[in-house]
Amino acid sequence: MSSAGLLLAAALFFPLVLAICCLSARFRARVLAVVVIAPLPALAAAVLVPEGRFAFFPAPFRLTLVLDQPGAILLGGAALLWSAAGAYAASLMARDPAAPRFAIWWLLTLTGSLGLFIVGDVVNFYLLFTLASLAAYGLIVHEQSASAHRAGVIYVGLALLGEAFLLIALVMLSAMHPDANPQIRSVVAELPASPMRDGTLALFIIGFALKMGLVPLHVWLPLAHPAAPTPASAVLSGVVVKAGVIGLIRFLPFEAGAPLWGSVLIGVGLVTAYSGVIVGITQPRAKTVLAYSTMSQMGLLAVLLGVGLDTADPAVTNLTAYYAVHHMLVKGALFLGVGILATTGGRRLRLALLLTAVLALSLGGMPLTSGALAKLATKPLFGYGWLAGAMTLAGAGSTALMLHFLLILRRDTAGNTAGSPALWQLLPWLVVAAAAFLIPWSLYPAVSGETVSGLLHPEALWKVTWPMLLGAVAMLFVHRLPQRLGAIPEGDIIVLAQAAQPVARRFSDRIGGIDAHFRRWPVAGFVLIALAILLGGVLMLQA
Amino acid sequence: MMAVLQPGVLFGLCGAALVGIGLFAVITHPGLLRRIVGCNILGAGIFLVFGAVARRGAGPGFDADPVPQALVITGIVVAFSASALAVALLKRLAELTVDDRAAPDESRSGL
Amino acid sequence: MTPLVHATTPGGFLLVLATILPVCAVLAILASGPRSAARIALATFAAGLAVAIAIATELISSGKALSYVVGAWQPPLGIALRADGLSGAMLVMTALVVVAVGLFAHIQHGLQTDAGGGRAQTTFWVMLLALWSALNAVFVGEDLFNLYVALELLTFAAVPLVCLDGRAETVTAALRYLLFALIGSLLYLLGAGLIYGQYGTLDLLALAQLARQDPALAVALALMIVGLLAKAALFPLHLWLPPAHAGAPAPASAVLSALVIKAPVFLILRLVLDVAPPQAAAIAGQMLAVLGAASILFCSVMALRQARLKLMIAYSTVAQIGYLFIVFPLAAGSADLPPWGTIAWTGGALQLVSHALAKAAMFLAAGVIAEAFGHDRIADLGGFGRVLPISAAAFGLAGLSLMGIPPSGGFVAKCLLLTAAVIQGNPWLAATILAGGVLAGAYVFRVIDKALAVPTVPIVARRAVPRRLECAALALAIAAVLIGFVPLRPFGFLQIGRDGLNLAWAP
Repeated sequence: MSSAGLLLAAALFFPLVLAICCLSARFRARVLAVVVIAPLPALAAAVLVPEGRFAFFPAPFRLTLVLDQPGAILLGGAALLWSAAGAYAASLMARDPAAPRFAIWWLLTLTGSLGLFIVGDVVNFYLLFTLASLAAYGLIVHEQSASAHRAGVIYVGLALLGEAFLLIALVMLSAMHPDANPQIRSVVAELPASPMRDGTLALFIIGFALKMGLVPLHVWLPLAHPAAPTPASAVLSGVVVKAGVIGLIRFLPFEAGAPLWGSVLIGVGLVTAYSGVIVGITQPRAKTVLAYSTMSQMGLLAVLLGVGLDTADPAVTNLTAYYAVHHMLVKGALFLGVGILATTGGRRLRLALLLTAVLALSLGGMPLTSGALAKLATKPLFGYGWLAGAMTLAGAGSTALMLHFLLILRRDTAGNTAGSPALWQLLPWLVVAAAAFLIPWSLYPAVSGETVSGLLHPEALWKVTWPMLLGAVAMLFVHRLPQRLGAIPEGDIIVLAQAAQPVARRFSDRIGGIDAHFRRWPVAGFVLIALAILLGGVLMLQA
Repeated sequence: MMAVLQPGVLFGLCGAALVGIGLFAVITHPGLLRRIVGCNILGAGIFLVFGAVARRGAGPGFDADPVPQALVITGIVVAFSASALAVALLKRLAELTVDDRAAPDESRSGL
Repeated sequence: MTPLVHATTPGGFLLVLATILPVCAVLAILASGPRSAARIALATFAAGLAVAIAIATELISSGKALSYVVGAWQPPLGIALRADGLSGAMLVMTALVVVAVGLFAHIQHGLQTDAGGGRAQTTFWVMLLALWSALNAVFVGEDLFNLYVALELLTFAAVPLVCLDGRAETVTAALRYLLFALIGSLLYLLGAGLIYGQYGTLDLLALAQLARQDPALAVALALMIVGLLAKAALFPLHLWLPPAHAGAPAPASAVLSALVIKAPVFLILRLVLDVAPPQAAAIAGQMLAVLGAASILFCSVMALRQARLKLMIAYSTVAQIGYLFIVFPLAAGSADLPPWGTIAWTGGALQLVSHALAKAAMFLAAGVIAEAFGHDRIADLGGFGRVLPISAAAFGLAGLSLMGIPPSGGFVAKCLLLTAAVIQGNPWLAATILAGGVLAGAYVFRVIDKALAVPTVPIVARRAVPRRLECAALALAIAAVLIGFVPLRPFGFLQIGRDGLNLAWAP
């Protein structure tokens, strides 16, 4: 195997091996110290391995790893965020007796979420997707509060549902393929000719939309992300939701296009983007606001992918990955920032708030930040029609939401006593914040095909500035509505689902009643004879 | 009428009747001992059916096919063991519940 | 085509050995007294496992079914034993589960200090060995009446295991089990009688060639299949299973749930695929699939409702058995593809094996939990993962297999069944498989959630449980996971000895 292949394999297996090593109690006691290095092979692979390289492991693993451009972009950003958040977690939890447990879930989730960006075959994609989904439960419920537990239960319920949708979609995708575990690329190429094309695409979109938190399958996201400890929130909101994005990138037929499903994605994405902003702006907790912002941004990514599917434009995958990595790093830095700000006071607080403000407004598209680059790079996709307007409006909404977030932060930190955060919490935050600026700049020419100098053109600056001003003005008005805070509960429409609980309980009791009836001796006896007569009769009619 | 009185047919009809009676008893009776007896009647009916089969399948020069007879003998042994096991369990149950009830049956044993 | 006759193959005596070895051990225990019961049983486990593995190796190396004609008397007068690939897989699975459960029981018995346990322990060893012999006889039997006797022996060995502790509650459950199983086996016997009357033979291989559409066969098949369903406890005939399996001691529950109900399922499989003519097989298969799907959905919800861990696992067994019945229409095969060449056949066999391993692991883990805390109320088990990490891990890994989450045998099985449902365009079965998976996820997660919880008042074990006891469950759970590494396609081993068995499928 080539060195590139080895590096790819290390990216996947190194964290897994670390997780397995936790079986040893001695290793487990010190495992927090290694979470920071667990994603480093992946980072190295993203930087060093040339695109298009792959590694194949024969039976019984039948694992294929490939690195393409969207995968490499996401892998690099994700590995960096995982590593930094790991360092933050190690410092934060140094005295937590439950830390080793947290670290095991952390490593498992990490393995799954990073592996997804490089895995090339169907079965192992499902395996890693499952691993990332289910292991995240341990991160969500770590604090063991009642709300964390409720969030975890809702999360697992929906994740299991998503797994089921994904499984049947994968089976439908590869059922006709002669190879039992085909390469994703080759089955997706055959998909447009499949008789089950529409069903497969619909199931894929449902399964991955659940992971991305698109309306109406988003209910778990605003509950789960804020419930986790701060570093876990950062990776959940930054990286783990991108499992849905990479899934759509991998499994939607962008070469052939599917206009119907493209339109569906655009519609769902826009609804998600707007509802994330509208509900988010009513939330009083900073982390919940960030979670709703994540949901809104995932909506924008869905719109991007929908446009690509609509116009059969494979280039959209790179642009989506680019936008996603911008969001990944910024959102990771923002979540870490919430933790940093809580322990900072005095003069440093102002500096930290300033940096947070720049990061936050980057999501709205502040000029010269990664947000502006991402918006400018993707702008050509939308043309000049209503869609471009809708996206601009969504940008304005993001700005308003982030201003709301900053106001909450200012309120929350107003009473902080003078102090400074631990160095090993501050440093990872600064690294992620720096990466959030630098990585998008460095990738911009490769992804958009335009020069960096074009970004400094006044016209380009104005293009991203006026939606921000619009958002700021909107926020001025919204700010006057004090009763908005808390108007919509966290998880919004989950409340409706809870109203259905008595119905579910009655249904379950009904089942219990039927079971008790069938388990009575005479009933079971008559059923036995009835079955024999029925089967015998049917067979006799045949004969 | 004569056809019915031929041994094979008669045995078959009797067997069928016993199977029906046995099934009825075992399904409808709440008393566990009666259910065990029902099972035995059911078994007896089945052995009669085997007898009819043996008679029908008799080769030239034989009164009956010997194979079903061998099966019936084995079957009786098995059915006897089953009854013995069931009665032993019933006896044990009766000992365990002797304080508050005389003859244990399904309706009173709480299941 | 020349009629197939049985001929003793090299290695055929292994089949006899598999059947009589445990019986000899039972006799030895009865002769030598209870003192050496455990030692004899453990020695037999080793020997029996070796025999099962030898059979599997012989099957693989020869690529043909193993046969043994008892006393060189050809059927219909004599009886034959035969092991094809599927039987071989069952034999090995049985041996693995029995050995693991036996080791668990041995360690558990070592913990019991009270004097009253000795009798129950000897009974356990005798019944476990008898049960093993009966199971092996079912898996290698070729003669319908012989199979009846084997099934009855199986029930007679299983019933005392249910009421080993001798409480009124378990004796009632045992009696209920015995009586219902008795009705089932008598119906089966009646069917066998009718078949003998019609065809003059009870040999499965001969019947495979003789059977044709006629009313007698229709009635006989209906009686036999439904009789076996009663023993397999498929919904809605599951009345006896939850109290029996939940009330038995942990090692007994493990073999009952993992192995005993598989024997009638295995026989139904043989009746439908080997004996029934194709059209009849298709109809019976449809009906069995409807019952199986109902079983999956209904009993998964019931499992979710249970407050006690062992009852939950017992209901889960009824639900998981349902998967074995939806195999029938999916493995229907076609003119150029026999049923055992389909992926659904492999999927069904894998489901059978992986469920056996996973369910045994689950019951053993539940046994450890009940041993440690003195109860198995799920609501009061918060934080048990901290006290019993190995058992919690075993339960979780076994749960993966039940839920169908990779990598596990259950995943491969469900994936193959799903693929078969999709290829056949059978959306209802596909939806049922998925819904069953989600429900299984829910009921397994309920327990895992408790294992991971950190209650305000930490849970304390009533008594310490040695690690060795927990490891038996873990080993079985790991085996269930490892099955997940077989390739996702028709598995050659399961097709050994199937060619030309049923003329309808022969080219």
